[in-house]
Amino acid sequence: MSKVPGGKNLGKLYKPGRVRRRREWRGFKDTFYDYTRWLKIMGILAKFIIKPRNIKAFFRYRWMCNYLAAPMMLDRHTQGLRGEYLRIAHTEFDLVMEDIALLLDNVFKADKRIGNDEKLNKKVVLCDENEMTVFMMGFPTLKGLSRETPSVYVGVLLNQFAACHYLDVVQEYGLPGDVCPMPAAEAGVSIEDDFPILGACAIQCNTTCDGSLMGNGVISKRLELEDGVPCFQLAAPLRHREDDVQEYAAQEMRNAIKFIEDHTGAKWDWDYYFECAHRVNESTKARQEWLDMNKTEYPQVFGSNLALYTETNYMAICGKVKAFADADKKITELARKAYDKKKRIVKEYRHRAIVWGVQSHYYMDFLIWLQNCWGIIPLTDMLSMVSTRILSEDDKEKALYDMAWLNENMIMRNRTHGGYKVLLDELWQFCEEFNADMVILWEHMACKALDGMHGQFEEKAREKGIKLIWVGHDLFDPRIVSRQGVRDQVNQYMRLVLNEEPIDPTLEILPDEQSW
Amino acid sequence: MKDLKHLYYFENLLNEANNELVRQAQAEGKKCVATVCENVPEPLINLPGAFSVRLRAPRTGSMEVGTYYLTSFLCEYTRALLERAVEGGFNFADCMIAPDGCSMLNRCVENMELLKTMDKEKFFFDYMEIPMKCDENGLALYVLQCKNHILEPLHKNFGIDISDEAIRKSVEEHNKICRIITEIGNFRKELKPRITGYEFHIITLVSFVCPKHLILDKLEETLEELKTREPDAKEKRARVVVVGSEIDDVDMIKLIEDSDAYVCADRFCYGSLPGRVPIELNDKEDALTQVCRHYMTHSQCPRYMNQDKIQDRRKYVAEIAKEYKADGIIYEQMKFCDPWAYERMVGSTVLHNDFSYPVLTIDRPYAVGNSGQLRTRVQAFVESMEIKKIQGGAANE
Repeated sequence: MSKVPGGKNLGKLYKPGRVRRRREWRGFKDTFYDYTRWLKIMGILAKFIIKPRNIKAFFRYRWMCNYLAAPMMLDRHTQGLRGEYLRIAHTEFDLVMEDIALLLDNVFKADKRIGNDEKLNKKVVLCDENEMTVFMMGFPTLKGLSRETPSVYVGVLLNQFAACHYLDVVQEYGLPGDVCPMPAAEAGVSIEDDFPILGACAIQCNTTCDGSLMGNGVISKRLELEDGVPCFQLAAPLRHREDDVQEYAAQEMRNAIKFIEDHTGAKWDWDYYFECAHRVNESTKARQEWLDMNKTEYPQVFGSNLALYTETNYMAICGKVKAFADADKKITELARKAYDKKKRIVKEYRHRAIVWGVQSHYYMDFLIWLQNCWGIIPLTDMLSMVSTRILSEDDKEKALYDMAWLNENMIMRNRTHGGYKVLLDELWQFCEEFNADMVILWEHMACKALDGMHGQFEEKAREKGIKLIWVGHDLFDPRIVSRQGVRDQVNQYMRLVLNEEPIDPTLEILPDEQSW
Repeated sequence: MKDLKHLYYFENLLNEANNELVRQAQAEGKKCVATVCENVPEPLINLPGAFSVRLRAPRTGSMEVGTYYLTSFLCEYTRALLERAVEGGFNFADCMIAPDGCSMLNRCVENMELLKTMDKEKFFFDYMEIPMKCDENGLALYVLQCKNHILEPLHKNFGIDISDEAIRKSVEEHNKICRIITEIGNFRKELKPRITGYEFHIITLVSFVCPKHLILDKLEETLEELKTREPDAKEKRARVVVVGSEIDDVDMIKLIEDSDAYVCADRFCYGSLPGRVPIELNDKEDALTQVCRHYMTHSQCPRYMNQDKIQDRRKYVAEIAKEYKADGIIYEQMKFCDPWAYERMVGSTVLHNDFSYPVLTIDRPYAVGNSGQLRTRVQAFVESMEIKKIQGGAANE
C-alpha cells in the first residue's frame, strides 16, 4: 500500500468472508481524508438509525439489513484512488448515500406500517425505479419517492446477495429464471409484501425492457388493487428516435401530470420546472465536459466515478436537488485541476476502453478493478451515454417535449430500445471519438435486447479491429456468474489473447465470493 | 370422425412458408408483405394488390446460426425465423413490416436486415411502434404508425391503393374469413365436438399464412362439411383452453389431444380468440381508425400495461373457459418469452385462485416434436382434472 496511484498489492486486502482484512493505506493525507469521509458515512447511518421508526423498519423489512454494508461499498469504490480521484469519488458517493438515507427516512415516515404520517402520505408520488422523474420537476410541494430503489437496486450495490431471496420468491411463484432479475426481484418483493405501503398515487413506466414492463403489472396488482394506491402507467415509445412518436410521448407526459394533480390536489408549477431544467442543463454541460476530457490522453471523471453518479443524477434527481448541481461544479473543478497537472488514475494506461451493455449490479466496482488490475481505462459506459439535449428554460410547450424526450431516453433504454443504430452503430462512433482500442461488453444474459445483437457486435468489432471482451453475468444474481467468474473472463482474454501480465497480480484472483 | 376433405391440403400448406398459394398470389402480381406479430393489423396489408403472410419456420431443425447471432437466451421462434431467413427461406417476401412488439422479435428482424437476408428489388424493412395502453392517445399513435409504416410505404413502393374504400374492401374480405373461422370454432362448444382442436388449429393457422382470397373457398367448403359431420361417440377425458404465446408447431395441440384432453379454445398469439373476431365498421369514422381501435381494444397481448387491460386479459380467459365449457386451462409460453413469462405466472395464479380453474403452466420450445416430458405433464393434468370431476371438486362446474 502506498501513495502510488492505483495502489500496490490491493488484492492482499481481501480475505475470505464478508469484510476486508483492513483499510487501505493511501499515504497520510489521502488516508486521513478518506477516514474523515468514512466517519461522515457512519454519521449518516447513525443519524438515520437513531430514529425509532427507522429501527422498526430494520426489523420489518428484510432488505434493510443490506444497509449495514454501506461503508464497505464506499471502500470498494475507492480502491486505489488517490488525490483528486478520491475526492471526486467521495463527493459523488457520499452525496448519493445522503440522498438514499433521506429517501429511506421519508419512505418510513410515510409508510402505513411504520410512521404512517398521513399528511406526508398525501404528498407522496411513488416513482418507478427505472424511471426519469421528470414528471416531478414541476411539483415543488410533492415528494417523489421510490420503493424499488432502496429495497432492490441499492441493496444489490451494497450486498451482492441482496436480491437472491426475492428471486427465489418470484421463481417459486412461477416465474422462469431466464427473465431479467431486476424486475423479477422487484416483483418478488411485491409478492412477499415487503414493500412499504405509502403514497397518494404512483407513476409506473415501461422504460427499460419487456421484463420491466411486465414486472410492473405484478407490482401494480398489489399496489392498486390491494393497497389502494392509484397507478398511472407512463408509456414511453420504444422507437424513441422517430419523429412520429414524440407527440404520443408528450401526451403521455401531459396525462401523467394531470393524474398527479388529480390525486394530490397539487398544481404544476412552471417556475419550479424551469429552475430544475436549468440545473439539468448545468449537469449536462458538466457531464459533457468530463466526457470531452475523457477523449484526451488524460481522462479524469470515468469508470466508477462516472457511472453510478450519472445514473443517480440524470435519472432520479432530474435537477430537483441543488446539492447535485453543486457537486457537479466541485467535481468539474477537481477534474480540471487534475487535468492541468496531467494526472493519471493508475501508473500504467494500457488500453482505452468503452464499457458497453448493462453492468453487473452485484459487481459495480468491477470498473475500478479493470484499471487497477489490468490498466484498462473505462473511458465511458453505455449507461452514461445519455441525452445531452439542452432543455428549454422558458418555453412551456417545448418543455413538454423535452420531458417526454428525457423519459424516452432514460438510461439503458435509450440504447436497448430504438433500433440497432443506437446500440450498435453508435458504439463504434464512440470508439472513434474516444480513441478506444477496446470494448468491454457486459453481456447481461437475461437482457434480450442486448443478447439479440451478440453476433453483430462480434462481427463489427472484428471488422473494425477493436478488442472485444465479453463479460457475461446475470445482473442481480451472483449465484449464476460469481464476481470471480466475471473477472476470469477478462483475465483469460488478457492472458490468452493479448498475452499480457496484470499490473497488480494480487488482484487477479480474489477471495470475495462471500463478501458484501 | 371421418377425415376432413381438405385437412391434408391445409397441413401441406403449413409445411413451408412459401407455400403454393403464396406463389400463386405472387404469380398474379400481388405483393407479399411479411409480418411477425399479430399487432400488425392484417386488413391494412391485405389491400388490393398485396397480401399478408405471417412468417413461420416450419420443420425447424438446427438453429445454430440464429443462436450465434441472437444467443441461446432469445426465444426459439426468433432464432428459428432468423435461421430460416439466413438460409434464404423468406426470400419470396416483397417487404417486411415488424412492430416493436417485443425486444426479441425486433432484434430478429433487425438481424435479418443487417445480414441482408432479403434480396428482392424494392424490398424494404419497416418497423412500427404499437401502443402499450388502450386509450385515446394509444389509438392516435396506432393510426399514425399504421399510416406511416404500413400504408404509405406500400403505396410508395408498390403503388398499392390505400384509400378508405380499399381498406373497407379489405376488412370485408377479412371478416369473411373471421366469420367462417368463428363459426367453425363454435363447434368446439359442443360437448361432443365435431372438430378436433388440432384440426381447428390447422385451419386457423392456414388463414394467417395464406392469401385470404385463395383460401376462402376451401374454408367455406370445410365449414359446410362440418355442418353435417358426425362427432366421435367417445368424449375426451377433459376439455382445456390453451392460453399463451404463439403455437406454430401443430404437434403441440396434437400432443395435448393425444393425452386425451380436448383443446376447446385457443387464446394464444395468432389464435382465433380474439384474432378472428370480425371487425365491425361504421360509416361515421374512417376505416383506418376503426381497424386500429378494433386491434387495440380486442388485443390480449401481454405488453398492454395498464391495469384495466391486465385484469381484462384474465377475465377474458375465464369467460372463454366458461363459454367453451373447459375443465381446465393450460398456460403456455415459449421458453425465454418475457411478456408471456410474467403473464403465465400471474394469469395462472389468478385463474386458479380467483376463478377456481385447475391450471397447468408450461414453458416449451418452438418445435415441441414428441416431447415426452410435456406429454407426461399434460397426462398428469388430465388425470388431476378427472379426479377433481369424480370428487366433485371442480368449482367451475
